[in-house]
Amino acid sequence: MVRDVLIVDDHRGFRREAKRLMEQIGFRVVGDAGTGSEAIDKVRQLNPDVVLLDIQLPDLDGFAVATALASLPEPPAVLLVSTRDAVDYGSRLSNCSAVGFIAKAELTADSLLALLGSR
Amino acid sequence: MIALRRSIQVAVPALVVLVCVSDLLSPSQQSVPLWLYALNYIVPGAAFAIAGLVAWSLRPANHMGLLMMAVGVGLLIGAAGILTPVSPLARTISEFLRLRVGHPSDYLFLALGPLWAVVILHLLLAFPSGRLGARLSRGLVAALYVFVPLISLIGLSVPFEVGLGSWLQIGYTTVRSVVYQTCFAVGFVLIMKRWVQGGRARRRSLSPVLWSLAPLSVAFLTPTLEGVLQQVIGVPDAGPLVDSTNAVALASPLFLIVLPIGFLVGLLRSGLDMTSVASLVVRLSSGLLPEQLQPALAKALHDPSLEVAYWVPALESFADLNGRRVELPGPDSERAASILDGAASPVAALVYDSSLRHEPQLVETAAAAVRMALENAGLQAQLKAQLEEVRQSRARLVEAGQRERQQVERDLHDGAQQQLVALLLALQATRAEAAQYGDKRTAAMLGANIAALKQALVELRELARGIHPSILTEAGLVAAIQSLGERCPIPVQLDAEYSDRLPSHLEATLYFVTAEAITNAVKHSGGGRIQISLRRRSGIVALDVCDDGKGGADLAAGTGLRGLSDRVAAVGGQLTVKSHHAGGTTIHSEIPCA
Repeated sequence: MVRDVLIVDDHRGFRREAKRLMEQIGFRVVGDAGTGSEAIDKVRQLNPDVVLLDIQLPDLDGFAVATALASLPEPPAVLLVSTRDAVDYGSRLSNCSAVGFIAKAELTADSLLALLGSR
Repeated sequence: MIALRRSIQVAVPALVVLVCVSDLLSPSQQSVPLWLYALNYIVPGAAFAIAGLVAWSLRPANHMGLLMMAVGVGLLIGAAGILTPVSPLARTISEFLRLRVGHPSDYLFLALGPLWAVVILHLLLAFPSGRLGARLSRGLVAALYVFVPLISLIGLSVPFEVGLGSWLQIGYTTVRSVVYQTCFAVGFVLIMKRWVQGGRARRRSLSPVLWSLAPLSVAFLTPTLEGVLQQVIGVPDAGPLVDSTNAVALASPLFLIVLPIGFLVGLLRSGLDMTSVASLVVRLSSGLLPEQLQPALAKALHDPSLEVAYWVPALESFADLNGRRVELPGPDSERAASILDGAASPVAALVYDSSLRHEPQLVETAAAAVRMALENAGLQAQLKAQLEEVRQSRARLVEAGQRERQQVERDLHDGAQQQLVALLLALQATRAEAAQYGDKRTAAMLGANIAALKQALVELRELARGIHPSILTEAGLVAAIQSLGERCPIPVQLDAEYSDRLPSHLEATLYFVTAEAITNAVKHSGGGRIQISLRRRSGIVALDVCDDGKGGADLAAGTGLRGLSDRVAAVGGQLTVKSHHAGGTTIHSEIPCA
């Protein structure tokens, strides 16, 4: 079953490449968002299975958005991404409801599949 | 001048000793009554001479000592005159001093001898400065200096034995007594007036003198000792000196014995007032708080009512420390004031009891000291303000630098890093397509480029983290230090007693101190463990980074620790290093935080 994914990042270039990568590994990109609040609205609206969520957003940060999404009746699986390393976030990552974190430089088909499971 | 002073310092004690010893050289028992009579002069004479010498040695610029010595010498010469018939030494002295002026028994010193009484009056009126102040005092003393020798000479020269002699003698002695007593009574009134009008400082120095005059008052009310001595021990005819109506006989010199002590004590007390002002100067120079200035000044000037008023430009008036206006007293008030002028406007004013007007030197000295202290306080306040401005300026620079670093890190993150990440993803996608279409060579080339780009991204991330760690901004100091510990190659244990956020520039300072200390421990200590503690108490955040390495770190030796110390000092804190050989190193930082 093809899973729906929402890409959330304030950088258009990243959203474009991430869409291509997600589609390459068999996900269907149902939409994207450039801010945290837009992401929450679109999740409610599109009900994706997976949210590829950047931590650094212009309004809310990724942790706050993940917390908000976790409170939804059917919360999506949230995969946090960032140009920074996991060490730059420390225990906030482990305390977060997201299924995992991938540094953007490490974002590959294999790393995505390792966290999100097979297509 | 010094030679003269030394001569007097030698001559006066020599005269005292000489006159005293002369009695011991008296050849017969006949001298005993005369000796007792002479003691009447010798004891107070010696006391005046010695006290005068002491006073002159202590206060060379003050004439009191010289005047006291003059009294002493006058009395001792009188004693020599009395002992002339029985003591060869006294006879020698008398013969050395005598000068015939027409009468067989005349001696100039007999005419000048009674002058010691005038000198005592001079002393009383000139005390404690040694200078006669009021015109009446100067006139009285000058008149007596002329009148006393003159009337003595008349008494010695007029042949009372012939003709109207007895009547003339009665008239002469009566007039002389009245003039003497009137002059001394006026002198006494002038002294009492000075005591009554004087302030506490003046009274402190006058009191010993007035008390020492008490025996003299007794002498006024009782028969003179001379008379008593004549009757009890039968003093033989001792010549004109034993004239009960003589000025000398107004009060027996023996009653004056405590007077030189009174003068000396009074003079020293007067000096002590200057000493207390000098102590005030010392206290002021060591820095008195404004609220301590008034009590210190009141104590130094012996005026509990003294007030220090400060010029308030906004009010264009003087005010006390509580901001209450202080009106300066008018010329006829019972209070007086001294204004301490500054460069452009008054600085302060001293308001005190008007009796201190009689102590202008004391007040002027104290006022000068206060002016100096206030100017110093002003300079210190200015310096403190400048230092505070420098401190604030340095803190602002640190904050501004911190903001700029944060901005650079954010720009790197939002700009170059994002672009490179997008490029990386694009290259990865292209490589995947090349591989899919069997273009292995292109895929391999792209793979090499992707690896290089990833390495560049890692380095860029490290650079950005070094400029400003994002975790510090987003999660705070404790999380940032934990992150440092996680990346450290040796175990780091963090003991943090608080998790509140601090101002960002303080967090950044403590973070970079921790990062540098961890780096040093890893590079140089050779230790196997790092312990970090972070505490916040009483407005102070204390950070300790300890390792168990070989020690030997020195704050003064390297630029790294020095730079950390400067960084901590820039936010008002202090960094210390404890490092013992083989005993590990502890870098302790304390930073004030509101």
